[in-house]
Amino acid sequence: MTHAYAKLRHAFRYGSTAIGAATLAATLAAGSVVAAEQGAAAAKQAAADLGAGKADDPMVLKAPAPNARRVYVYDPKHFAAISQSFIIDGDAARVVGMADGGFLSNTVVASDGSFFGHANTVFSRIARGKRTDYVELLDARTAEPIADIELPNAPRFLVGTYPWMTALTPNNKTLLFYQFSPQPAVGVVDLAGKKFDRMIEVPDCYHIFPSSNDTFFMHCRDGSLLKVSMGADGKSQTKRTEIFHKENEYLINHPAYSPKNGRLVWPTYTGKIFQVDLSSQEAKFLPAIEAFTDAEKKEGWAPGGWQQVAYHRESDRIFLLGDQRAASKHKAPSRFLFVIDAKTGKRISKLELRHEIDSVGVSQDAKPQLYALSTGAKTLFIFDPETGKEVSSVNQLGAGPQVITTSDM
Amino acid sequence: MRVLVLAATLAALSAGAALAAGALEAVPEAPAGSTEVKIAKMKFATPEVRIKAGSAVTWTNTEALPHNVHFKPGGSVDKELEGPMLRSNQTYSVKFNTPGTYDYICTPHPFMKGKVVVE
Repeated sequence: MTHAYAKLRHAFRYGSTAIGAATLAATLAAGSVVAAEQGAAAAKQAAADLGAGKADDPMVLKAPAPNARRVYVYDPKHFAAISQSFIIDGDAARVVGMADGGFLSNTVVASDGSFFGHANTVFSRIARGKRTDYVELLDARTAEPIADIELPNAPRFLVGTYPWMTALTPNNKTLLFYQFSPQPAVGVVDLAGKKFDRMIEVPDCYHIFPSSNDTFFMHCRDGSLLKVSMGADGKSQTKRTEIFHKENEYLINHPAYSPKNGRLVWPTYTGKIFQVDLSSQEAKFLPAIEAFTDAEKKEGWAPGGWQQVAYHRESDRIFLLGDQRAASKHKAPSRFLFVIDAKTGKRISKLELRHEIDSVGVSQDAKPQLYALSTGAKTLFIFDPETGKEVSSVNQLGAGPQVITTSDM
Repeated sequence: MRVLVLAATLAALSAGAALAAGALEAVPEAPAGSTEVKIAKMKFATPEVRIKAGSAVTWTNTEALPHNVHFKPGGSVDKELEGPMLRSNQTYSVKFNTPGTYDYICTPHPFMKGKVVVE
């Protein structure tokens, strides 16, 4: 064996590793046109490297620095014991990382994008045995754990993933999570000190919307909001607002909330949209909007899906999934998106998404991307909300992806 | 002397029996003089009742939605007692053997709360 031949063999061996990596990258986001292009580009690069005799150097990659178009898609896998999060670069329409979760995890993302995490539940024997609830925080580029905080007495509410059942305070130093049984309570986790702090007993109210680092709001059974002020001394104070909706106006489980401007956007089954401004640390109820005309309602138009509504802060726009549907079919996907001016309540556009969409999200940059997730197709479709054009997609997102999370940086 | 020993044994047995039954004792039928608590419209109609030690409370669900009575450990409750789900017009009785305050909820509706004060 000559030296030159050995060198060639060496290059060839590592070259094939480079091709393997390219194939893996393509597989992670396979199927879509964008993925095929990415795969072809990676293969071309690997071939060029091989031709140039460049040695492959396998390493653990880092995701690009998070930006406003970083999207987290959570897949609860239809109530499976183990779940997954897909970390997606919205600009490239590419999976740039993944994170494992336990049973019905709740995803949180830091307001500056620097970390993400989950409130998690695992069992010592997969789906039985000793139950452990914990909060884990992960680095946004490496997906390596940076905190693991156990929650005493398994207090998590195990429910289909409602994003606002777990929330970060604006300074990212506290995580709040909801407990349903044996009594309504909110758990306080000190992320800065990396320890569980306390449970705050609350009345029969649900969801958590932090309006400041020591204040959050909840929605109560009687139709009011509850303001909870977390005292530095560990003593909390609660105050109820007026009742803002009727008993037969059913508010959905997936309202949109912008912690940056304190806007809560809460549709009902019929498309009436309540808006509350929490920015002053008091609830200011804005005039309610009707997403559909009476004629449309008669034709069966109504909101439907999982995350049915998104709110873009800068443009003050509401994005609502809607379709013609029978009553009580409010969790079936929608094929249309209604863009509404939050200030005037006027409809700006009705976009045909051409897919069965369950969840909608929006990036918070000036010219936002619209994220439309199909649980059935296990695919994230990315749209330009101005034109309604589908610009890219990412498929093979687990078994039943349902939740989109972005960061308002 | 023999009588005295027997009495002491009986007392001990009786104490043992009370201990075995615990502070809370689910009983199959509503005892005479049982205090009634009706369940209606997602509420325990009498959320707080006062009774004497050794007497009982009987809950009756009056609506189609199933409810139960669930005592979680804590306070006066040393051992969990989770009653069965009651359908419409079904009842459940608990005898309270020891003075104290006994908080309870409905398992699937934890916002439904009640209290039995035993004197």
